[in-house]
Amino acid sequence: MNTSNLQLNNTDAARHFSFKATVRDAGIGLALIGLIIIFSVSSEHFLAANNITNILTQITINLILAVGMTFVILIAGIDLSVGSVLAFAAVIAGKAITMPGLDPIAVIALAVMAAVLAGLVCGLLNGLISAYWGLPSFIITLGMLNIARGGALHISEAQTIYSFPKLFNDFGSATVLGVPVVFIVALSMVAIAWFILHKTVFGRMIYGIGNNEEAVRLAGHPVFWYKVAAFSICGLTAGVAAIVYMARLGISSPIAGIGFELNAIAAVIIGGTSLMGGRGSVFGTLLGACIIGVLANGLILIGLNDFLRQMITGLVIIIAVVLDYYRDKYTKN
Amino acid sequence: MSVAPTSAQQMNEDPAVKILTVQNLHKHFGGVKALQGVNFSLNKGEVHALVGENGAGKSTLIKILTGVYNPDAGEIYLNGARYLPGNPKQAKSQGIQVVHQEFNLLTHLSVAENICFEAFPRSRFGLLDRNEMNRRARKAMDTVGLSDVKVSDPISSLGIAYRQLVEIARALQSKSQILILDEPTATLTDRETEKLFNIIKSIKRQGVTVVFVTHHLNEVFAICDRVTVFRSGETITSKDISQTTPKQVVSHMVGRDLEQEMSNNFVAHDLGPIALTAKQLRVPQSPHKQGVSFDLRYGEILGIAGLVGAGRTELLRSIFGLQEIVSGSLLMEGSKVKFTKPKHAIAAGIGFVTEDRKEEGLILDMSIAANSSLASIGNISTAGIMHYQRENAMAKSNGEMLKLKYGKVKDNVSSLSGGNQQKVVLAKWLANQPKVFLLDEPTRGVDVGAKAEIYAILRSLASKGKALLVVSSEMQELITLCDRIIVLSNHEVMGELTRDQFSQERILQLAYKHAQA
Repeated sequence: MNTSNLQLNNTDAARHFSFKATVRDAGIGLALIGLIIIFSVSSEHFLAANNITNILTQITINLILAVGMTFVILIAGIDLSVGSVLAFAAVIAGKAITMPGLDPIAVIALAVMAAVLAGLVCGLLNGLISAYWGLPSFIITLGMLNIARGGALHISEAQTIYSFPKLFNDFGSATVLGVPVVFIVALSMVAIAWFILHKTVFGRMIYGIGNNEEAVRLAGHPVFWYKVAAFSICGLTAGVAAIVYMARLGISSPIAGIGFELNAIAAVIIGGTSLMGGRGSVFGTLLGACIIGVLANGLILIGLNDFLRQMITGLVIIIAVVLDYYRDKYTKN
Repeated sequence: MSVAPTSAQQMNEDPAVKILTVQNLHKHFGGVKALQGVNFSLNKGEVHALVGENGAGKSTLIKILTGVYNPDAGEIYLNGARYLPGNPKQAKSQGIQVVHQEFNLLTHLSVAENICFEAFPRSRFGLLDRNEMNRRARKAMDTVGLSDVKVSDPISSLGIAYRQLVEIARALQSKSQILILDEPTATLTDRETEKLFNIIKSIKRQGVTVVFVTHHLNEVFAICDRVTVFRSGETITSKDISQTTPKQVVSHMVGRDLEQEMSNNFVAHDLGPIALTAKQLRVPQSPHKQGVSFDLRYGEILGIAGLVGAGRTELLRSIFGLQEIVSGSLLMEGSKVKFTKPKHAIAAGIGFVTEDRKEEGLILDMSIAANSSLASIGNISTAGIMHYQRENAMAKSNGEMLKLKYGKVKDNVSSLSGGNQQKVVLAKWLANQPKVFLLDEPTRGVDVGAKAEIYAILRSLASKGKALLVVSSEMQELITLCDRIIVLSNHEVMGELTRDQFSQERILQLAYKHAQA
């Protein structure tokens, strides 16, 4: 295929996914801009360069988890295990990265592979079990939540692992023009996920399964494997998030990531993806993660305590879903 | 509703007294004119058929009569007084009841609980009065002739036909002047329909006026006193049944002479070699050892007739690899095949238009283009990457070939009418260029005009050398469409008819053979 052809396809794809989705994303984008304006008016620190770097860093892990979660929620599933899987992957990677007598580059590579593999295996198991027996992923991943957390505590003997190579910790705090490198990693994962969801057959099938699994199956497609793949991707992102977590904090803790799954789900839902599956976009997830991050940062800057911040975040989730209901009603008429 | 006793007496004496009159009714939804000046009247105690293609305005009229919508303009009179229900409850309190096409039953609750759901009887302490509830339910069930059903049984233990009758019983237990049945026979077999007709007759004797919405004209002529035809939101005609013919009604419905079109479609042509052979095929439900056997040739449309439960759908599903074949064999072009997944059947060149397009055929909230390419996505992708241009082009050309009426190929399928949705299901399989088509109820819920178009498409597929296996509950459909019909009863082939032997009587005789034996 030649280049001009590819470009044509690009614009066509943009048109294809579609006016409605654009309206939805635009609404969330406006909400985000509104929040930014409110906070920048009410706090002089909000738009300061170091605060923006700070926000982006805080968003990163949730965004990475939410990218994977988007795949699972699009097929009308849910993954409650990602927070624990993050800890499990971090502990395994922590063991790898602190192996004595090896070159720093070698242990870092080993740790990255170990974390990604650990996450992938957990996701794969979630997918295989829930898809094979057709069981609700809510329950299966609730089981995995406990298995992974228990595994993390057992392997680490409930100890925090630390003293990682300096190169690795530097990666966690490095910035390019004020943008954290780890955030760039997260953004590139959004881009890859967008490509997969909107430009590939696999992406089409993810949306199809979320809307009508039976129709996809009767058209001869291996629905089982597509579902397993969606959960595996979600597990894989938990592995990547584990690496980012270790690099940022310089430690691996078996109690890392408690409750992270709920923030990831919140980002996906605020981003306009339907819990019933089949509708939504990873771009919306990016906006959803940004809204949560901006809220968390801004509310503290204007002097609210963390408890009130949590209440307001909860409120935003409910408002997002209610708004989505009306948006859906409006676009259908 | 207060009516002076003297006038009520007059009403009962005059057979053609109007219970309900609708004058110049208008209703718009956004830019869509659903009703544009509808006039309609009901005589007391008659069975009145309401016919028209999908989108003709029948449902809108019913929803206005039952208080779901308010009309934009026009007047309704009930027993001579202005009638304008603000909500469904008000309509019910005036004695206008409706049984909807889709079921509104709570399947895990009992028959009695469902029947009394709108107003549970309460005991002195405000608790549920179970005895009174069961008594009322018993009475309601007896009215519809279901004395053999226990009111404490859950709805889930009843078949589709009985559920339909429970709905009617529920509507009738409140006082009813007018009972509206919205396509009550869509899911019923002929025998069940007959039972329903007997119930309608007895309801009529009790002085209730019945409005009967249906797609089946033979039913209109079997049970109704008068018929009103709708087209594009207007009343075309209201006639006594004795003064019209099915042919006239159809031409009023579509505005052109359809029967001519349909019968012109059939052009006999030479058949090709054998495409598909079933040899003593047995599915798990099948009680007989001999199973089902038939040959299907290229260029042939083979119809499968039979009652619900005769094993027609199971046969198609087992051929397509969706259901286990217990014994017997399946041959394609003479060589033995075994499909354990739809994927294998598709790879061998089989396409399957399922019975239920909403559940199994289409992804309603995705685009026409995405649905059209669902079975042939390999053709519009390279190494897993989609080519949207190719997909849109394919959807457009298929849409053109099937005379699909749509806005843009990226519009959601849910925005299309039933007939056009069914065409998208056909487009999905055509894109894959299969050699053998399995079609289960290919025109279910499709209006008369689109039906003729679908028949034409299927005939042209046959003339291009495709082999088609068609299951249908409408005998007229098979008679119009097929080169040959086999009749199933209780998972057994009871007989085979060639085109010169086609008649509804013969098909029925064979279909009931087991039941009689």
